[in-house]
Amino acid sequence: MTVLTSSAKALPPSTHPFAEVVERLEAGGSMLPDTPENLMQIIGIYKAYAVPMDFYWRDLLYIAEQVFLNPLPAFKYFPSQEYLDRPNSYQGDQAELRIWRGEAGAHPELLEFMEKGEIGKLPKLLHHLWHDRINMEFAEACMDAMLWHQGMGGRFNDYLDSEVYRQNADKAIKAYFKGNPLMLGLYKLFPEMLLEQVKKLSYVANLGLFWEVMAPVFFEMSDIYDEGGFSGVPAAMDFLVNGIFAVAGRPIYHQVFIRGECFEIIPKSEGFTWLYEAALPYVEAVFYRTAPFRGTKSYNAQAGQVPSEQSEFHYGILYADVFPVGSAGIPPTLLMQDMLHFLPPYLTELYLQHKRGEDDILVQLGITFQRSMYNVTSAVIQALRAALLFPLDDPDPEHLKANRAFFESQMDRFIRPEARLRDVQTEHYR
Amino acid sequence: MANIIETAKGAGLFSTLLTAVEVAGLTGALESPGPFTVFAPVDDAFAALPPGTVQTLVQNPPQLARILKFHVISGAYSRSDLVDQPSWESLEGAMIPIRCAEPFEVKNTSVLSADIVCDNGIVHVINRVMLPG
Repeated sequence: MTVLTSSAKALPPSTHPFAEVVERLEAGGSMLPDTPENLMQIIGIYKAYAVPMDFYWRDLLYIAEQVFLNPLPAFKYFPSQEYLDRPNSYQGDQAELRIWRGEAGAHPELLEFMEKGEIGKLPKLLHHLWHDRINMEFAEACMDAMLWHQGMGGRFNDYLDSEVYRQNADKAIKAYFKGNPLMLGLYKLFPEMLLEQVKKLSYVANLGLFWEVMAPVFFEMSDIYDEGGFSGVPAAMDFLVNGIFAVAGRPIYHQVFIRGECFEIIPKSEGFTWLYEAALPYVEAVFYRTAPFRGTKSYNAQAGQVPSEQSEFHYGILYADVFPVGSAGIPPTLLMQDMLHFLPPYLTELYLQHKRGEDDILVQLGITFQRSMYNVTSAVIQALRAALLFPLDDPDPEHLKANRAFFESQMDRFIRPEARLRDVQTEHYR
Repeated sequence: MANIIETAKGAGLFSTLLTAVEVAGLTGALESPGPFTVFAPVDDAFAALPPGTVQTLVQNPPQLARILKFHVISGAYSRSDLVDQPSWESLEGAMIPIRCAEPFEVKNTSVLSADIVCDNGIVHVINRVMLPG
């Protein structure tokens, strides 16, 4: 962790409404206060998140690469054994950059849950129909947010509108529907329709490649914590910052396998990177923006409750009122339900001691998740500061002022009343 | 006079940069008539990046090439030319802001040595690797 230097202290106090948080960031800290309970909560939930995420990324890549344009994708949530065994690029002995010490295939707790679920050992299809499974709908909702908001930095979106992408997609569409006059006829009549679907599938691949990195990062953080290896919240944040840099240059691409042949819709040679084309758009779309979910809390667009500008949307986890959202049976609830299955015992114990115990455990873990995502967002903010601005201990006051202006502009996004930054500063918010 | 690559080799400060340029397949381009303006990070600048950053990029030449192209401007521009304009388009496509004329700072880097004239362009030595954004 970088310590506050005398030069940073030399700056006059910040006058920002979140001055305390700004100064904590300037001292190398996180937006989340450094307390032992916060550390326990965020690491515990990272682990509970990583297990379903291990399913999400595998199935997203299965959908993008294998299911592709299947008009009736009834079995898209049943990834093939090949995708369950597929070595994660960042774990296992074969990994060139090993982030997690574990094996490369699907996580053992995930495989156990897929077999038994909550109701016991039954055929896969029954687990699916009873909804006793990993909720891929959550993953698809995140992808939809990225697709819908678009244009959040990076070059990915511009590429989807390019002629070369159109040609690559066209080849894959024609190959996929070879010998299917009905679909080829439809394609001729409405060429944009299938092209839009391919664009969406490119975002599916994008998100799958993004999460393939995050799952081992979170697993490793959990293992380090279990060994007593993190000194506090800033140390956990620094692990994320280093992880962001280490994989920043990972290629983002989209390939499809049709009858054994590989079609490159977005080749690796386009130079798209994990940081610019996946991570930053993901954080913007999913943590900040998303969409006003329909649920027990409704929004009246005519009364101006929904902003007219997409960039002003503020329905992500950093702003969510976990209680009403959590009672609506909609995407965030699905994630909470997924995480519930893989909570480490120390978090379950914590929830039983507070509020209504088991009865509102989904709300409690949703708020923990919110805290943990304030920490991930802090890591992104610190990584951007490190990449685009100056070291925290820079001796030049002008550089420190530039850092402060950056931190303050980031905190401006949390001034609106819906933001939960104020709430996560206290332990009473559960 | 030497070209950009020969000049960098002669200086002895740019072994990581030269390796990266080679891996990314950009050596030929930087030996061509150009001309180019190159912001060349010293070895210490690459060493300061968190562990794994350079390794991942070296394993992925197109992605590495993109980052390196962010350090190059088409045309030969001296320090006095560069400070006349608030930002310049890099070969990567993103803009490189000129932060300060005195001391000479480009984006978030300090120029350690400016105006090294080569056959096919001008090199400015910088203390940090620049990232687009």
